Amino acid sequence: MYTKHFRTTLGGLLAAFAAAASPAAGAELRIGTSAEPSALDPHYHNLAPNTAVRMHVFEALVGQDAKQRLKPELAESWRAVDDTTWEFKLRKGVKFSDGTPFDAQDFVYTVCRIPQVQNSPSSFTIYTKGIDAIETPDPHTLIIKTAAPYPLLPVELSTFGIMSAEAAKGENVKFEKAGCKADSWPATAQFNDLSLAIGTGPYKFKQFTKGERIVLETNPVYWGRKPQFDAVTFRPITSDGPRVAALLAGDVDMIENPPIQDIERLKNDPKVAVSQALSNRVIYVALGVQEKPPTIEGTDGKNPLRDKRVREALSLAIDRDAIVKRIMLGVAEPASQLLPAGFFGHDPALKLTSDQKKAKELLAAAGYPNGFKLTLGTPNDRYINDEKVAQAVAQMFTRIGVQTQVDASTANVFFSRRNKEEYSAFLAGWGAATGEMSSPLKSLVAGRDKDKGFGTTNYTSYANPAVDQPLAQALATVDDKKREALLQQSVRAVIEDYGILPLHYEVTSWATRKGLTYEARADQYTLAFDVTSK
Amino acid sequence: MTATVGATGQGARARAETPMARFAAEFARSRTAMLGLLLMVLVVGSALLAPLIAPQDPYDLAQLDILDGMLAPLAEGGSGATHWLGTDDQGRDMLSGILYGLRTSLLVGVSSTVFGLALGLLVGLSAAYFGGWVDTVIMRIVDIQLSFPAILVALILLALLGKGIDKVIIALTTVQWAYYARTVRGTALVERRKEYIEAATCLALSHGRIVRRHLLPNCLPPLIVVATVQVAHAIALEATLSFLGVGVPVTQPSLGMLIASGYQYMLSGEYWISVFPGIALLVTIVAINLVGDRMRDVLNPRLSR
Repeated sequence: MYTKHFRTTLGGLLAAFAAAASPAAGAELRIGTSAEPSALDPHYHNLAPNTAVRMHVFEALVGQDAKQRLKPELAESWRAVDDTTWEFKLRKGVKFSDGTPFDAQDFVYTVCRIPQVQNSPSSFTIYTKGIDAIETPDPHTLIIKTAAPYPLLPVELSTFGIMSAEAAKGENVKFEKAGCKADSWPATAQFNDLSLAIGTGPYKFKQFTKGERIVLETNPVYWGRKPQFDAVTFRPITSDGPRVAALLAGDVDMIENPPIQDIERLKNDPKVAVSQALSNRVIYVALGVQEKPPTIEGTDGKNPLRDKRVREALSLAIDRDAIVKRIMLGVAEPASQLLPAGFFGHDPALKLTSDQKKAKELLAAAGYPNGFKLTLGTPNDRYINDEKVAQAVAQMFTRIGVQTQVDASTANVFFSRRNKEEYSAFLAGWGAATGEMSSPLKSLVAGRDKDKGFGTTNYTSYANPAVDQPLAQALATVDDKKREALLQQSVRAVIEDYGILPLHYEVTSWATRKGLTYEARADQYTLAFDVTSK
Repeated sequence: MTATVGATGQGARARAETPMARFAAEFARSRTAMLGLLLMVLVVGSALLAPLIAPQDPYDLAQLDILDGMLAPLAEGGSGATHWLGTDDQGRDMLSGILYGLRTSLLVGVSSTVFGLALGLLVGLSAAYFGGWVDTVIMRIVDIQLSFPAILVALILLALLGKGIDKVIIALTTVQWAYYARTVRGTALVERRKEYIEAATCLALSHGRIVRRHLLPNCLPPLIVVATVQVAHAIALEATLSFLGVGVPVTQPSLGMLIASGYQYMLSGEYWISVFPGIALLVTIVAINLVGDRMRDVLNPRLSR
């Protein structure tokens, strides 16, 4: 009553001030996010902000810890029975937030539903395609068969959340490789209006107002450790400055991705705590090796990037340490390959150096002593300081004689143009959702092959059997040691051929008010249930 | 033209010999306007002479070094040169960046105004002279155009056209012509009913001649005023578009883009990247507006005492 009186007489400003003065009040956690999910439907869009919110409500069979190592979630244990058969033991006594029990049929229904999502901008089918047959000998055992040896199955089963078959009236749906049959499939709108947004996770949805907030409350029947906060509000604050200001003003308790130029100041602020972790995202420059280069001039229509010496020269031109120090302000790590040390498949022997003199010599030897003109495409709102990094790279290319223009555009425009191969060189990033080397290799540098799912994000026409062959072999090898050696062989092949120029690995940061702790995650997700207060 | 300006400015003092001299004398009576004029000359002069006086060519990437990035004003760079106004995150000398940025801003502002003015004149005069359905159609188009905020139209156009100085000029011309068309039509409608047009019509002069030699010169004074203010408006609009990242290419920053690249460092203490281009933009726009205001006072017979 006091508060109400206060608000009506003195207005929202003072009320906000009062709330800020007692930040510990209640057990609510307010998080300022840098991006908003495109839908609450867990299978609509394979996109980081969607997955981050999904993980609060819809759990997967397998979980990933802060370092992306696998951990049991809805499956208590799993093992490879033979090269193409996997057995998953499901957790018993788990209930969905509407009270119905979780069992094997929910998994079957989820796998069936994923290909049925309408208008999915980026589908999860890439993770279910490998499944050939599912058997459910009892409600808490899954036998999954794959057509070929498929070592990544447990990792890929950690990427999508499981929905309730009962709520969607799908208790009798059977898995069929060619497509499951049901009278109707749930629509994305039914998740956005919360009617079907029922999962087994620590939280359940309470409110979703697009562009404004997502409110979660604890799931009373959750099987695991209860999260510390009873209610969570995600507020999308996409501009960096206002997001930091919201934290400093006490409007939110925690923010993700504080801008790197403010991190020093936040670290020195006694009211704020910062946590950081090296991410699984590599920022790279891709070089198009098409016959006819779209954005190269001064070469009589030839593509100089098809010459390995030119690609090596461009790599040598890049001073990665300077970019990290000056543009990323130290909040990144220079890259030598596609994933940092500590991730599965990293090859510690690889190194990328910078040497302008040698770069010029290589250019001359390749027949371009006076260089050529190149346009470098880049998004300007997707990765940390993306446009500035691209400018620095352009500066370094220009210095060895390759006059480089930067063509920066907003992410939507950039990605649609890139996907049409309109750039001879572009800057982009890749986060390995699976936390191991096959993810970037398969998507970015493997020669395009629809059937194998290779080269889905390869917009440079690069194809190199020395990369593809060990990669294909690795993807069919269940033995971890052998698989890692094959992945290292594949990544070494592409780096030594300068098929892609890695720049740096992003470091992800979170800032919270003092008293809260968050273990920084390699996968960049902001998970409210992992936030603890002292 | 000189004679006709005299005709509209009859209320002004008649002591001076030519209308132009009379205009200049009248203009000079305001000290603020003279200050504005001085600033404007300074700004335009330094923009024109930028390649000669700037310590660095900020558009030549080979001259930039990120190791010289974010140096404070008066700091010395790796090459030994002093950066009077500091450097931005790419190691671009801010003084050079501002001088070149001014060039871009003025080029865009002035040329889009000239093109907009030409188009607006043509359309507005036709509407007023021919009247009837021509007038109705043209003015409805003008109304529709003016009902959209200029920034919105420009943003959409640039999203379609892409980046580049030429494209910014096209976009700004498109959003500006309607102002002139409406102003010209208003003035021309009044002038058209005056006796001298009637006389010209009686002499059986051609439409083209009447419009060009008689109607047009008498419609110019208010247009000059609108155009001056619109130049300032166009410069501000270009700065806004570049600030939003849809204007000029990042490697050839205008003032707006320099401000944009620096504003995220404001909180962390590197104020100079945004503040100095901001001051340059402010001075430019204020100077043009001071001159424009005074011209309006002098050229408008109703305001003269």
